[in-house]
Amino acid sequence: MKNYSFIFLLVVLLLPSCMNEPTVQPNTYEGNFQSLWKIIDTRYCYLDYKQINWDSIYTVYHRQIPSVTGGITFFDLMGKMLNELKDGHVNLYSEFDISRYWKWYQDYPSNFSSTLIYTDRYLGKNYRIAGGLNYRVIDNGRIGYIYYGSFSDPFSDSNIASVMSSFSKCHALIIDVRDNGGGSLDYSKQLASYFFKNDTVTGYIRHKTGDGHSDFSKPVEIITTAHKTIQWQRPVAILTNRMSFSATNDFVNRMTQAPHAIIVGDRTGGGGGLPLSSELPNGWLVRFSSSPMYDTNMQNTEFGIAPNISVALTATDQANDIDTIIERAIAALK
Amino acid sequence: MKKLLLFVLVLLCDFSIYAQNGVEQKYLLTMKTNTYGLSILSLTDPYLSPLTYTGNGIQFEHESRRCWSETNTRLSIQSKLDLDAGLLQNPAQNSNMTYVAVNYSTGLHYKFKPVNGWLFLAGGSWDIGLGYKNVARNVNNPGNVDLATNLNLSGIAMYDLQLNRRTYRLQLSVETPLIGWMYVPLQGASYYEMFRLGNLSGISHFSSVFNRRGINPRLSVDVPFKRSVWRVGIQYRKLQYKANDMVFDRKETSLILGTTFDVVHFGGRMRKAPTSFISPTD
Repeated sequence: MKNYSFIFLLVVLLLPSCMNEPTVQPNTYEGNFQSLWKIIDTRYCYLDYKQINWDSIYTVYHRQIPSVTGGITFFDLMGKMLNELKDGHVNLYSEFDISRYWKWYQDYPSNFSSTLIYTDRYLGKNYRIAGGLNYRVIDNGRIGYIYYGSFSDPFSDSNIASVMSSFSKCHALIIDVRDNGGGSLDYSKQLASYFFKNDTVTGYIRHKTGDGHSDFSKPVEIITTAHKTIQWQRPVAILTNRMSFSATNDFVNRMTQAPHAIIVGDRTGGGGGLPLSSELPNGWLVRFSSSPMYDTNMQNTEFGIAPNISVALTATDQANDIDTIIERAIAALK
Repeated sequence: MKKLLLFVLVLLCDFSIYAQNGVEQKYLLTMKTNTYGLSILSLTDPYLSPLTYTGNGIQFEHESRRCWSETNTRLSIQSKLDLDAGLLQNPAQNSNMTYVAVNYSTGLHYKFKPVNGWLFLAGGSWDIGLGYKNVARNVNNPGNVDLATNLNLSGIAMYDLQLNRRTYRLQLSVETPLIGWMYVPLQGASYYEMFRLGNLSGISHFSSVFNRRGINPRLSVDVPFKRSVWRVGIQYRKLQYKANDMVFDRKETSLILGTTFDVVHFGGRMRKAPTSFISPTD
């Protein structure tokens, strides 16, 4: 009986014992630095692709920790370290600031003017709004024009049906996603679905499976399903600029495979890595690219998608209330 | 008058049946216990955050137990429904996690009384649990689902303490998972990839004591009053499981309060309650 009691006691004590839980760094400058560095080292997906020597970055920034004088200088130092990744999907969120890398569009011409698209030549003042879409018939009734400014703005099938119905006499369509910084991948997929006849593989995604910089899962197909009832099977031009980022990048990538679509404008800003979040011991949130997305040739879309027709907004056209990119798209669609 | 006559007839019929059988009809009592609890919760979910979130929770548990049959009173069947909810914060208290969970279990116990005053129930149970944790500020990984089913070992020890002409029932119950199945997301993958694109590989795991361990001792005392029996107690639950290179942890200490009562099901609204019950804890 004593033996059984001993075994029972042993089992009860052993069962809830630890499972090698990972150690959490202390909430100190050193601990938070180590934590942030390790999150990126093990979970960020583009270190090898961008040929970033993260160990060297550790050395450079770790030696600056002793000179940190307060929370703000520490935040700035960590933000600077993250900016070495040159990734618009990488941010550090504190209670007083958000670190960000915006050079993916700031170092390039804007190629977009909201003043221009709202002139009478294009949307004018009497444009219609369906969900997140602003639209109007332009070019003497020949072209339907939609401006979609954010993939966070919802729209429904009935919105799209209404828009397409109003464009029924148009021979082509322009979807302007310039300055669209992204949002929901569901809306990206949905908007693309209206331009496909058949379900089509439009890209791939992988995710990190281990701590190694190139430890990735097998590619998973990203399929753009063709909408069953609403389809635009006439020419369509997608207008892009460097601020077409993230979910917009995904939409443009899908549309490169659409049968009647052309991409016009500037290269998109990229943002091909699906971001996830983690936390530092001090509660700061870090967002980072975790799952790289690829085009149909398994090429990374992190650095954007090149247009079929590369066009820049000219100062002369702008002075005459003409959007060079829209005009070039109209010409290409004729 | 008609109702009274009917009542008498029903009673007479019953007595006559008993008389014919020559054996007293026995009825199985079902012991039902409803408890409410206030908890101190601690959750670690590496899919959402490497930090441990702590906070407070509430719980409700409905437990039902009865003997297997009138002839086999050594075995008892138990079923439990457990509802939990909690609001937790990270150590820096600048991020919230909301937590809700539901768990249903059913079990079978063998009863034995080795010493007078003591009652032991030993057996096993099967449970299925579904929970959801949400850290609203996260991007693309704002929530995580706990889904698992297990076969558990469970045991209960009861002692009837006579004090001040009352019988207080002290009860210690323990349960621990043995084997089962659990869902654990892929650490680097978003729910978008898993459920929108259908990459479900690696999310389904066989669980055993090697990757899922837990224990939930509960110490309670049933206090009899004139018209009711109240249960007050303390419960500790610990669950730890590991899969996809992540270790999940849940600790909960609760103060519980509730009532326990025996019910019997027999037909007829006017039927008089019989005297020969079989309680699962007799």
